[in-house]
Amino acid sequence: MHEAASPLSRTPAVSARSRVLPLLLVATPVLLALWLVIWPAAEAVILTFLVPGEGGTEVWSTANYARFFGDSYSVNNFTNTLWTTAVTTTILLVIGLPLAIYLRFAKGQLPATVQSLVMFPMFVPSIIVAYAFIRTLGPNGTVDIFLHAVGLPRMRTPYLTPWGPVIGLVWDGLPLTVLLLLSGLGNVTRPAVDAARDVGAGWLAILVYIILPRMRSSLLVTLSFNVLGIFSSFTLPYLLGPAAPEMMGPFMQRTFGDLQDVGMARTQAVITFAVCLLFGALYVWSIAKGRTKSAAGGKS
Amino acid sequence: MARLDLDLLGKSFGDTTAVAGVSLNVGDGELVSLLGPSGSGKSTVLRMIGGFERPSSGRVLIDGVDVTHVPPERRPTGMVFQSHALWSHMTVFGNVSFGLRLRRVPREEIAKRVEATLELVGLAGYGERLPNQLSGGQQQRVALARSLVLEPKILLLDEPFASLDQHLRERLRDEVRDIQKRLGITALFVTHGQDEALALADRIVVMRDGRIEQVGQPGDIYAAPRTAFVAGFIGAMNMLEGAITDGRILAGGLHLAAAGSGPAHLAIRPEDIEITDSGEDGHVTVRRMIDFGSHVVIDSSLADGSHLRLQTTKGVRVGEGERLGVRVRHYMVFAEALRDPIRYRGAGVDMLPNMELNYA
Ligand SMILES: Nc1ncnc2c1ncn2[C@@H]1O[C@H](COP(=O)(O)OP(=O)(O)OP(=O)(O)O)[C@@H](O)[C@H]1O
Ligand SMILES: [Mg+2]
Repeated sequence: MHEAASPLSRTPAVSARSRVLPLLLVATPVLLALWLVIWPAAEAVILTFLVPGEGGTEVWSTANYARFFGDSYSVNNFTNTLWTTAVTTTILLVIGLPLAIYLRFAKGQLPATVQSLVMFPMFVPSIIVAYAFIRTLGPNGTVDIFLHAVGLPRMRTPYLTPWGPVIGLVWDGLPLTVLLLLSGLGNVTRPAVDAARDVGAGWLAILVYIILPRMRSSLLVTLSFNVLGIFSSFTLPYLLGPAAPEMMGPFMQRTFGDLQDVGMARTQAVITFAVCLLFGALYVWSIAKGRTKSAAGGKS
Repeated sequence: MARLDLDLLGKSFGDTTAVAGVSLNVGDGELVSLLGPSGSGKSTVLRMIGGFERPSSGRVLIDGVDVTHVPPERRPTGMVFQSHALWSHMTVFGNVSFGLRLRRVPREEIAKRVEATLELVGLAGYGERLPNQLSGGQQQRVALARSLVLEPKILLLDEPFASLDQHLRERLRDEVRDIQKRLGITALFVTHGQDEALALADRIVVMRDGRIEQVGQPGDIYAAPRTAFVAGFIGAMNMLEGAITDGRILAGGLHLAAAGSGPAHLAIRPEDIEITDSGEDGHVTVRRMIDFGSHVVIDSSLADGSHLRLQTTKGVRVGEGERLGVRVRHYMVFAEALRDPIRYRGAGVDMLPNMELNYA
């Protein structure tokens, strides 16, 4: 009968270990994050609120922020970044959602081909994308030459306009967007869609009442991932965007590198960080909500 | 209120032919069961009737109207899927009322109809629950209510209770039968459980490899299967391989009168075998006795080692290794050369020549 007794006697030891081990596993990344990210970030935030006072002392002040938001050039860059982020994210969702739905529900060989095409941009470095962009859509690029050859008016190139980064970032962000949306669509079963058609739902009703409600958290995740990535992007806006207004990424780099205005660059970084933090919080919140829901839910 | 006619319906997926020329007429208020092994094309037939698969050939007619190219959202059919078809983000009420809301039915009427339908399926008062707060059986009742509330002309059920345990399945299928009769709704029920088909259906359609093997009332199919496949598929059956020569079939050591010639199958239902006597000159050797309480099944082996299962009344006791004499009351011979099987009745069985055999 000792087999029956041993699980009982083992229980406390097992549960003690099972409580410590996960904590240890979590501790490493948490400590790393504290040391490499959170501490410098906190330090930067504090420093932006300190300005030199009389006699070499430092005093608390919001002067840095007043300077940033009082300067129309900075504000233009900031709103341009918001605009680029909003437009790119919207375009990504508008293209990505139908694509993901197609990939989820279509049958046969074609969807597999489409899927590998959609994932292709993931394997192309941004710098090469930018170069390809310039060669095709730039002045005297392939499209331009083609239009000229067939006698059509010349295209106004998006290169060095705010649309340049948008196009580059859409190309760059599409694979991840589709992947994230596809994982959300995993919640939508084919019988659930068939049943909706059976009771009379057309495609719009299915999208609005059956598919989107089940994807709420994956839409939030997609949204916040994209916003985080685009808002702080550097390479594509730097290579494809106009000199003014520019996005926060190149703006910070220029303030820091060319103008050597460390205090201002830090302030810009904190503002960028605050916007990202907002969407980061949204992401964490939606994940946590999904967790509690599925923990409470159980099957189906 | 509705007739359903399938006219040479066919469906291929690439190289595989899932359904090959199925024709069937279902009468008003009839419940027809599609029965067949896995992959025989039952679901595909049902999905074509519901509009979810486009037929490669043939037509679907409801009340004489060709609906072959009408999309599912505009067909007067309602389908109950095997599982995972409830919308888990909507309550029971939300699920059942969805179709009515799409049709812009007034709010009070929706409430009334949903309530009545939930009552019909035994879920009165469950409207506010979410699907994951229901048991598997209750979930399928919701799926049924969701279809019924729209008063479809044809109700299609694709193994709706396959994921439930035996008891619940039996109860639900009886309920479905009651509801279907009460509403007088025309229904097709896919199953691969023969008990379910026998218990439920007005008529059974036995399918195999995308074709209809036989259509008939449950009793007829049981008593008079047209092919060896149907004979083996519906009900318990001993199928012995043998050959016919000189007006007799020899199979598994049994020797019985039969017309025709050449290779053939001898089919005997366990309950059509009678134990005559025991002793060293018996025909079969007992391998195992299973007492079901209501009856006793004996697993035995014949002289050539093939198995013969017999069923007798309760209370019979035999021991392992015991030899029994048997009499076959009724058997069928499926000769490969013959188009239709021949049924024989009241025949004796023996290993000796010249025994008197009468056959129909
Ligand atoms: N979408 C599809 N693509 C390719 N082949 C399919 C598809 N649907 C069904 N088939 C094939 O068609 C045949 C019939 O399938 P069907 O689902 O109708 O069988 P079934 O009788 O319902 O079987 P089960 O009892 O397992 O549900 C099978 O060989 C199956 O592999
Ligand atoms: Mg099936």
